[in-house]
Amino acid sequence: MSTSKSTFRLSFMLLLVLLTSILAACGSESATTAPSGSTTTSNEPRTIKLWHYEGANSAMGIAWAESIKQFQAAHPGVTIQFEEKGFEQIRQTAGMVLNSNETPDILEYNKGNATAGLLSTQGLLTDLSDVATQRGWDTLLSSSLQTTARYDDKGVMGAGKWFGVPNYAEYVMVYYNKDMFAKANLQVPTTFAEFEAVMDAFVQQGITPLSVGGAEYPAQQIFYELVLSKANREFVNAFQLYQGDVDFRGPEFTYGAEKMAEWVSKGYISKDATGIKAEDMGVAFTNGTFPIMISGSWWYGRFSDEIKGFEWGTFLFPGNTLHPGSSGNIWAVPTNAQNKELVYDFIDITMSQDIQTLLGNSGGVPVNADASKITNEKNKELIQNFDAISKADGLAFYPDWPAPGYYDILVSNIQELIDGSKTPSEMLDAIAIPYQEHRATLGK
Amino acid sequence: MTSLPLKSSYKKPHKAGIGRFFVLAALLIALLVVLLPFAIVIINAFKTPEDYATYGPLSWPTEWSIDGIVEFWQRVDYSQKLLNSLLISASVAVIGVLLSLLNAFALGIGRIKGRIWLLILFMVANTLPQESLVYPLYYLSKEFDLYNTRFVVILIFSVIQSAFGTYLLSSVFSTFPKEMLEAAMLDGCNKLQLLFKIIVPVSRPTLAVLFTFFFIWTWNEFFLPLILLISNDRQTVPIAVGVLQGQRNMEATLSSASALLGILPCFIFFLIFQRTLTKGIAAGSVK
Repeated sequence: MSTSKSTFRLSFMLLLVLLTSILAACGSESATTAPSGSTTTSNEPRTIKLWHYEGANSAMGIAWAESIKQFQAAHPGVTIQFEEKGFEQIRQTAGMVLNSNETPDILEYNKGNATAGLLSTQGLLTDLSDVATQRGWDTLLSSSLQTTARYDDKGVMGAGKWFGVPNYAEYVMVYYNKDMFAKANLQVPTTFAEFEAVMDAFVQQGITPLSVGGAEYPAQQIFYELVLSKANREFVNAFQLYQGDVDFRGPEFTYGAEKMAEWVSKGYISKDATGIKAEDMGVAFTNGTFPIMISGSWWYGRFSDEIKGFEWGTFLFPGNTLHPGSSGNIWAVPTNAQNKELVYDFIDITMSQDIQTLLGNSGGVPVNADASKITNEKNKELIQNFDAISKADGLAFYPDWPAPGYYDILVSNIQELIDGSKTPSEMLDAIAIPYQEHRATLGK
Repeated sequence: MTSLPLKSSYKKPHKAGIGRFFVLAALLIALLVVLLPFAIVIINAFKTPEDYATYGPLSWPTEWSIDGIVEFWQRVDYSQKLLNSLLISASVAVIGVLLSLLNAFALGIGRIKGRIWLLILFMVANTLPQESLVYPLYYLSKEFDLYNTRFVVILIFSVIQSAFGTYLLSSVFSTFPKEMLEAAMLDGCNKLQLLFKIIVPVSRPTLAVLFTFFFIWTWNEFFLPLILLISNDRQTVPIAVGVLQGQRNMEATLSSASALLGILPCFIFFLIFQRTLTKGIAAGSVK
């Protein structure tokens, strides 16, 4: 008993010692971070704090690591201090961090009204409009890519000042298992009718054709693809940018919802899909359970690495000129950032053809690549498909963008559409209300 | 162990019977259900991403690979995170216990005026959701130039944990044998001596339990450290685990590796201190 008492005392003492040393350490750490580079002359060594949340092996991670190298070579005496963050961390804390003196000088930030738009209205992001014209970013990016870079004084994207610079793009396409297609003697469909015929053929063989994650974003992107098959740019601008009225009982939405329900009843989509997460959807496609998956370009690099058992390819959703997709996330420069000119130099490097080509060769969708230098056939296909969409001004953004909290509303209502507990018109009424309410608050 | 004499005071156990067998079987099944998620984390932590993609999460690894663990360790500089978590949790545990002790001395032994109200106050503080504290804490820490320091996290959690500790210890102390206190006072003990010479040694097991709980609770805290610690080199283990969750992709094998590394320190700590835990819980029964 007495020995355990003395060990207890000993450990307590040890902890006290530990504690005092931490307190000392904590005291010094605030001193070291205080005013870095507030008075900068050109020959003083400077540091740029850079945050992003792309994995080191992803296309963006690779391209940006190279950009950092090139930047430091071109700017001796300037160090880029890169910190990898989690998506959630930036999403949850950006507003607070950018409002303090711990802010990074440049960060990757989520595009959209509720994120970049909101921060821009709070004055936390630097207006990049002049820099964008000076450095020619406005000519590099097509108008549908610029949509997510510009926000008006209410924080609604599409027009107004530049608060971010997108560096890559993303779009939704159809992934297919070439081996399963060959085995069933099927060709790549070029029209919507052929696409349905292909899926019918799989159903007849007892195979559910579509891998769908109904518990997360994938199902709403399929729904949106179907809506877009009857829609035009005016509809998209009305729905996404509030330029005109949206009728949820109009032909576009009605067709989308009814077609989605029909696809379930015909067996293209399993009713079990309601409980499947996006990750599981991807894994199910990777291991050859389903022949087709409709989802975004963010899977591309991963499939290239991980699909070993069969040949795979992609095609654009047949018959559509409009596709879900947009610019990628944006570079944003906090209002409190230091050394903004240097930061613009860095963004310029990431936009250069050199880096953009590397991004394309690593499996991303570049916005300014030299197509002739894309070596990998698969990556070429990805980029060519994107160019086709971009030329036709076919990026229609994502269905959950127009209202806050709309993502969850769409997920749950499309789940109910898939499992049959809501009819198409009931589901459309349910998703119309929050949308219209939000527009009313904006006065648009 | 000296558990034999204790046993004699128990009711005589039921003789071996079919009922006991079923209870045991049910407990074993419950144990398996509890352990299954951990097992899945462990097998996936040692898989290659290709293996995971081909055979899914439930299959046995075709080859055991520690690449995921090594990659995670290097990618987030895990040694630094461990150190940060250890510093924060240990400091909170020590300060939290000290604060609880002093508070409870006043409330439970000293029986100061309005102690019921104070206890209610502590109870309310204890039930406040952390989300509601975020903005005040953020502005205060900025005001005092403590934003993005480990010190402010230690400070906040010491107070949060001691709210619970005060509540618990006060009720323990209020049943402290009066005779012992009076005897000590008669022998010329002053208040400080009373606390550290009489009360602390007697309630040591309870304090050890509090210490262990405070440590583990603080270790597992995610939200406030996420908000308050900005620089990567000051962040804690749970935040490092969160870095892997991308916007649309998750790397399942890496996430499993990180989960494994995240649980492990807590698990080891628990193994070390579980004896004090069981002792502390049993301590109340010995009068």
